[in-house]
Amino acid sequence: MAETSVRKAKKIPRPGSAKYVWYKICRNPLALAGVIVICLLVILSILSPYIMKYDYAKIDMRSAYQGPSAEHWFGCDELGRDILARILYGARYTLSVGVLSVLISAGVGVALGAVAGYFGGAVDQVIMRFLDIMAAFPQLLLAIAVSAVLGTGFDKCIYALGISGIPRFARMMRANILTVRNQEFVEAAMSITCTKPRIIVRHVIPNAIAPLIVEISMSIAAAGLAASSLSFIGLGVTPPTPEWGAMLASARNYIRLYPHMIMFPGLFIMLSVLSFNLIGDAIRDALDPKLKD
Amino acid sequence: MSEHRSDFLSVRDLVVHYHSEGKTVKAVNGVSFDLGKGETIGLVGETGAGKTTIAKALMRILPVHSVEHTEGSVTLEGKELMSLPEHEMQQLRGRALSMIFQDPMTALNPVKTVAEQIAEAVRLHNNVSRSQALDRAKEMLTMVGISADRAGEYPHQFSGGMKQRVVIAMALACDPQLLIADEPTTALDVTIQAQVLEMINDLKEKLSTSMIMITHDLGVVAETCDTVAVTYAGQIIEYGTKEDIFDHPTHPYTVGLFNALPNMNDNAARLSPIDGLPPDPTNLPQGCAFSPRCPYATDACRKGVIENYTVSGVHTCRCIRAAKEEV
Amino acid sequence: MAPLLEVKNLKKYFPTSRGVVHAVDDVTFSLDAGKTMGVVGESGCGKSTLGRTIIHLQPSTDGKIIFDGRDVTDVKGNDLKKLRGDMQIVFQDPYSSLNPRMSVHDTIAEPLRLSGKYKGPELENECRRLMDLVGIESRLYNAYPHEMDGGRRQRVGIGRALAMHPRFIVCDEPVSALDVSIQAQVLNLLMDLQDNLGLTYMFVTHDLSVVKHISHSICVMYLGQLVETCATDELFSNQLHPYSKALLSAIPSTDIHHPQKRIVIKGEITSPIDPKPGCRFATRCPYATEACSRPQRLDEVLPGHFVSCCRCREINKL
Repeated sequence: MAETSVRKAKKIPRPGSAKYVWYKICRNPLALAGVIVICLLVILSILSPYIMKYDYAKIDMRSAYQGPSAEHWFGCDELGRDILARILYGARYTLSVGVLSVLISAGVGVALGAVAGYFGGAVDQVIMRFLDIMAAFPQLLLAIAVSAVLGTGFDKCIYALGISGIPRFARMMRANILTVRNQEFVEAAMSITCTKPRIIVRHVIPNAIAPLIVEISMSIAAAGLAASSLSFIGLGVTPPTPEWGAMLASARNYIRLYPHMIMFPGLFIMLSVLSFNLIGDAIRDALDPKLKD
Repeated sequence: MSEHRSDFLSVRDLVVHYHSEGKTVKAVNGVSFDLGKGETIGLVGETGAGKTTIAKALMRILPVHSVEHTEGSVTLEGKELMSLPEHEMQQLRGRALSMIFQDPMTALNPVKTVAEQIAEAVRLHNNVSRSQALDRAKEMLTMVGISADRAGEYPHQFSGGMKQRVVIAMALACDPQLLIADEPTTALDVTIQAQVLEMINDLKEKLSTSMIMITHDLGVVAETCDTVAVTYAGQIIEYGTKEDIFDHPTHPYTVGLFNALPNMNDNAARLSPIDGLPPDPTNLPQGCAFSPRCPYATDACRKGVIENYTVSGVHTCRCIRAAKEEV
Repeated sequence: MAPLLEVKNLKKYFPTSRGVVHAVDDVTFSLDAGKTMGVVGESGCGKSTLGRTIIHLQPSTDGKIIFDGRDVTDVKGNDLKKLRGDMQIVFQDPYSSLNPRMSVHDTIAEPLRLSGKYKGPELENECRRLMDLVGIESRLYNAYPHEMDGGRRQRVGIGRALAMHPRFIVCDEPVSALDVSIQAQVLNLLMDLQDNLGLTYMFVTHDLSVVKHISHSICVMYLGQLVETCATDELFSNQLHPYSKALLSAIPSTDIHHPQKRIVIKGEITSPIDPKPGCRFATRCPYATEACSRPQRLDEVLPGHFVSCCRCREINKL
């Protein structure tokens, strides 16, 4: 209610700013844990060639199928490669596929959706019908189709996932813009001589994008999973690149005999998905002025 | 009228607390009133005064997941409703007591014809065939002033006022003895409101249904009610016949409400608003809930329980000034 | 004295898939500086559209808007910007009329910033002055809309409008979303501001008791058309159009001892899509005859009392 509202401490950043989002994340232990996990993964992945005792691609048939031990913490795969080394090195692929492909789909999707929603009419019809055709296919199926056309490989996998994610973001953005566009504060902005770009940037988009930011962070996790699925069916990153999904795929043959081979990559996929989801939740809360402090 | 008093509906010490975002919302705090057969009581108050919660408590349709605590007794024709098993209560809803909601736009199922919806209500409570139920539905529609030809139409083909008539027809289809109307005309235009109020008054006379009219509009109360209960912060702060309340408002809040209303019959330059805001139901003030806004509040008002004092006859007022007869 | 605002034969049509909506059809009136004109009518009568068209939130289809002696019907660019400084609007819904992501001072300061006249401490001072003017406590400087009750939000909306230093404000149902006790606070504020700043209001509402209280003259609208306009007291004592009579008698009265005789009109409002020529109230009017299907003219039946009804003199025995 009205009586509680003055921000006492001057140190709290302005709500809505990036600093404020960070401030809120720091006060949410779960989200902070998510950030730490992701940061650790990134750092370890970058450093892995220098700090790991084993090379991720070094084949050593003598230690094939070895379970976890002091020597090989997560054990070895069917070719005797150290699973820990492969997981840490592979993080760079799995995480960057997630982040980059979502940047593509969110960037293009939000722009298309905003244009379609704000201008309406024929523009809206053309954009949305085209996206409808794309959206008629499940995202993974679309990604499979796109990567079948583009071919396999790390970069192609990013494009495939990025393109297939566009319709969802465009649709969400358009729907949000449509609700916000008709609210009275947009008219009010017009009456106090706001220019059109200012109305869009300052009044429409900030109120339309919040749900999308959550969706974006969640999608990073989902795209990572989809990348794993693509690798799993042999369309994404190809062996010997240690992408997590690819690791799962090759380990599936040994699931009964050597479960550690599938368990550890699976664990890391789960951990990163969970972390992104936690961060996404925290960002949504931070951007909602109703949940202030 | 009064010889049947309390025979029909009697509400005693009704309390409803629910929780919301970790806080206890004290929505209804000890409400008691009686209603005779064929009478209409108006529950008047502003947003958040607990009017709708009282109605939902009588219907026993409070949202289960958020209700924290209810107590008190509600007897309808001698039957205690609060302790009734759910399946028996289900039998009573619609047949013994029925409710009309504020927004006619959302109260109807958009994919069923209006006759089907009324017939469904009829068949739930009566052992009749489908065609009998549909006949009854048409009869009800005619009664609320909608031609039976339109029985096969869908809600979107009706205007707001017509929809509210359909909702009322549905509520009355099983001849309930008690009708609870929650702001039935608030969403309607003035001329349509006039039509609906007129119809409600006619039907009440014809069917001798008792009614609880929930509204914030004193004009609607003046037109439809026999007795009036003014609610504030989940309590009835003043109760009496329509004449008692309109001619001799006693509680400072009731007086304030009348003064805040732009009067059609005089041309005062300024209105006299009530200072401040209604209290936060999660944090009610000590003593009289109105005391922070009351121009006459004394220290005695701000502590302890304020009793209900009799002003005259059935006219009661929850204000210590009423006891001292300062008013 | 020339009127501040003159509206001549103003029309606003919306093309839709089902036909053309005649939201405002041939409305003519004038409004003196420092006065309040009430516009009353039921939902869909075009009263809100009329207000929005006059202040150029929507382009008009036809007709003239003359503000302060100047034809402003088709102003564009910088002239429009200047006009917006003179004409402002207060909205109905205090929930959707404020950007939920902007605090009180953001909202009030935005027009000040856009004007380019205020910077730094001056901006803050002006902002605080406006907050004080509309009665928002200064501790709410950084508060967000959801932290305030409806009355305070409505005050913020009024503050935003005043930041432009307007002479004319369209009040579009500014109190209909508020409880009675809060409504009185906001009405008093609007009247005080008029006294102190010499504002001119067009007060759009469906609540006749509010309009009687606040306005000097009244326009009654029905389905896009102006059916009657005159001074407030005149309308309430001597309404001449059959619709005005029905509308006024429909208000539930709090006078329990003198229930007024009610004229309940049959039927409901028809749609303003491609209406037939003639009086649009004719389908519900108890006095309707053949002559009512011909186009009606707004006539000065009594001095200063304009009515659009061909049978007006006959019905009222004038």
